[in-house]
Amino acid sequence: MKSGQEQFPSAARLKSILPLWPLLPAAFYLITFLFVVLSYLLYLSFSTASGAFPTLATAGNVFAMNEFRQAFVSTLLFVIVGTPLELVAGLALAMLIYKPFFLRSIVRTLFIIPLAVPGLVTATLLFIIFDSNGGFMNHILMGKYWFFPHVIRHAVDWRGAQWSALSVAMIGKIWRDVPISMLILLGGINAIDPELFDAAKTMGAGLRQRFRYVILPLIIPAISSVLLLRSIEMWKEFIFPYILAGRYHLLGTLIEFLYMEWGGKYEHEAAFVALVLVGCIVVSVAVFMFLVDIVRRMVSDVR
Amino acid sequence: MGKLDRFTPTSPLKRLVWTIGIVATAFMVMAPVYLLVKYSISDMESINTGGLPVPLWPYHPTFAVFSYLFTDPEFWQVVLNSLWIAIGTVLLSSLLGVPAAYVLARYKVPFRRAILIGIISVRLFPDISSVIPISVFFISLNLYSSFSGVILAHTLLALPYVIFIGMSAFEGIPRDIEEQAMTMGANQFQIFFRILLPIAIPGLAAAAIYTFLLSWDEFIFAHFLLDPGGKIQTLTLYLRSRITFQPPQNLLAAISVCLSLPVIIFSFAVQKYMISGMTAGSVK
Amino acid sequence: MSELIIKNIQKFYGDHKVIDKLDLQINSGEFVTLLGPSGCGKTTLLRMIAGLETIDGGELYIGGRKANNIPAQKRRIAMVFQSYALFPHMSVKNNIVFGLRIKGMELHDMFTRLDWVLPLLGLEGLENRLPREISGGQRQRVALARALVLDPDVLLLDEPLSNLDTALREMAMEELKRVHRQVGKTIIYVTHNQAEAMTMSERIAVMNAGHLEQYDTPGALYRHPRTMFSAEFIGSPSANFIPGTIEIKNGELVLNSEIGLLEIDETRKDYLRNFSGRSVVAGIRPQDIILSSTRTHRRASDSHVTLGVELIENHGDRSFVLGRFENGLPVRFMAANDSDYRTDARVEVLIDGRCIHLFDPETRQNILEK
Repeated sequence: MKSGQEQFPSAARLKSILPLWPLLPAAFYLITFLFVVLSYLLYLSFSTASGAFPTLATAGNVFAMNEFRQAFVSTLLFVIVGTPLELVAGLALAMLIYKPFFLRSIVRTLFIIPLAVPGLVTATLLFIIFDSNGGFMNHILMGKYWFFPHVIRHAVDWRGAQWSALSVAMIGKIWRDVPISMLILLGGINAIDPELFDAAKTMGAGLRQRFRYVILPLIIPAISSVLLLRSIEMWKEFIFPYILAGRYHLLGTLIEFLYMEWGGKYEHEAAFVALVLVGCIVVSVAVFMFLVDIVRRMVSDVR
Repeated sequence: MGKLDRFTPTSPLKRLVWTIGIVATAFMVMAPVYLLVKYSISDMESINTGGLPVPLWPYHPTFAVFSYLFTDPEFWQVVLNSLWIAIGTVLLSSLLGVPAAYVLARYKVPFRRAILIGIISVRLFPDISSVIPISVFFISLNLYSSFSGVILAHTLLALPYVIFIGMSAFEGIPRDIEEQAMTMGANQFQIFFRILLPIAIPGLAAAAIYTFLLSWDEFIFAHFLLDPGGKIQTLTLYLRSRITFQPPQNLLAAISVCLSLPVIIFSFAVQKYMISGMTAGSVK
Repeated sequence: MSELIIKNIQKFYGDHKVIDKLDLQINSGEFVTLLGPSGCGKTTLLRMIAGLETIDGGELYIGGRKANNIPAQKRRIAMVFQSYALFPHMSVKNNIVFGLRIKGMELHDMFTRLDWVLPLLGLEGLENRLPREISGGQRQRVALARALVLDPDVLLLDEPLSNLDTALREMAMEELKRVHRQVGKTIIYVTHNQAEAMTMSERIAVMNAGHLEQYDTPGALYRHPRTMFSAEFIGSPSANFIPGTIEIKNGELVLNSEIGLLEIDETRKDYLRNFSGRSVVAGIRPQDIILSSTRTHRRASDSHVTLGVELIENHGDRSFVLGRFENGLPVRFMAANDSDYRTDARVEVLIDGRCIHLFDPETRQNILEK
């Protein structure tokens, strides 16, 4: 009797789990890859080409590398400068089209064109435009066209200096990805009842005050979403610096460089940098969550 | 009252600033696309101008680079390779992802939230970090420089999108239809294949197109998993290999046009789904 | 000083005329309701007064100032929205003082106003709650407080009670009347609910399809509907309409209607003589059709008609009866519950000629009321 009672719930459980079997192939696939990626990443990072494991020798090699330190600082700057820029640009675009107007859907479609252009293609185009020798951007800035003032005297070798190469890479990255942050913010703004804007208006609030007191506080969740998701993307960035910044590495391009350029000699170091990159993302997400929590508490105190 | 908003009185000055903003943004968005096309049909004189400003429209527009590309067997080979890899990715990721999407959308799955967050994190994990262990693993499995290796890797990237877009396609179907079929005696298979799948086809097609595009313009995994000197190259690798110290700009632009044209066209076809894929996980 | 004049005002959405040359004058301190079915343009008109919609033609004067091009922020109006539009991220207190803060009012004055308005609307103790933490009725009062505290020339209310349940709505109506008496503001109130309008307003502007049907006190609207639309929209249930012609029979002026001859009262006969031979539509309120058995004394202006009872809707003290005349025309009327009638019975009713409103079938205007 007792065993029967115990059997009954487990049989019911089985019956409720059984129809879930179509989930298995995908789960198996993802879990296998997850296992492979994590175990190999850890194994490679803490072993050497000569087979030693576990060892911190690879980590030591990486930390001693000048390139690594530079890449780390550059990546950090890339994230810290690029993410807010993308947020502000996305917010500006969202504010332009959050109100319904004639042909809005067409304008919105126009604004997401950059998403439809492959990153490699955008990077290639910037490679052409920012060419040091006869590049379009140099010609514009040298005042060769009627529509732009004379800003620089000599052609700039954009890809030849760290700051300019990485800036061009960042411009490309932001140009391509700004529609995503625009769409997230637009979703946030359009979720606000438009009567709130009307109410603020009848209470005397002008454009700026409506933005400051109504829109901004109500899209804080959307803003933190943008900051979080887009900063992860900035950490991960590969294609733009790879095409445009050559030897001025970010962490992403450093991994490629270490793995590809030396005939497998620095495979383990590459894996370690890859692990560091993952660690950076995890830490920055944690720090971000912590900051958001503080801000949230401050806001609820003010009320 | 939302639709009435457009008639809200605004001062002419604000309207002007707004119009300028829209036009300027539209310009910023369109200019690179224009330049890409312009460079692809430029003659050499319009590129090597010898100090004269690069013309805004080529002196002698020509499709010469395109006809060069289209008569180059290597170009057709890489296009075909990219095509096969993309089709393979679509098939494999649909085969794995659609059933999973169906179950996640329709059944009470234990730890559903954790599973969904896990699937999103797959997407947030840096490709450039996962590519090293996967390369090493594939080399050991003899999958290096093979179609199947790249397809397996691209499927890993595409699977979260297929599951998410597929889920929303299944969730859009009213549960009543399914229950109606159940009361009429249909089993799980019949319900899935005869009723849900046909209704969900548009959404699933969008997921397939999205997957196709993702694989078509993917670079990192192709770069790591295919031997640079080997037989199998994709269109993205072909473009990358042409970016050298002083590359012919019109050739780069022409390859870029070929690479992006299908992406741009199909992206707008699946705009709605692409947006939901891109912004998935942004709403907490 | 805070009267409101609307002259020839117009509004288009594309080619569609939403408001068509409408005139309205509202006295200082008056409580006026814009009443009409949904889509009649009443909310649009209110939003035009608020400055939330452009004015495409005509003139709007608020307190003697032409206000057509004054932006909403500077119109000295305040508005309560249907959804209340409370800022969800601000406490009750911050919601109320938001407008004062925007205007840069001194903290001290701000608190004086707050101390005035909180007890006025019974909101003491809720100052630090968020809108989602208070009830619907309280939210409605916060929205009202938020508008009153601005000390506007004109207070605009857009269906502020439509999200409340019946019991709360009645309380809120009483409260709104009390507040109006206390602060004496000009109030423009929009609703599609005629009971709300009748209870609260000093004057009602009945709107239909973008134009004004009638602008009168509640009593005058009920007793002297100027158009068929007014007769139909005001009063519950709505009036019965019976086609007929005005004729002279045996030297007497009568209404030859589809349900038989109806008497016309003496006072109107002289005037109506000019209309003999004209076809008209008689509008008769359900309250003015009376079971013969319940009235002992007879008037000269009474007519008797028999009809079949089809449906009885019991409302407690009285019932609302759906009947059908012998010729098949349906009719609605009210009857006391103690009287003798039941479904499928034939009953005799009498119709007082003084209560028959006569309309021109073409223009749908009352042929007597000008």
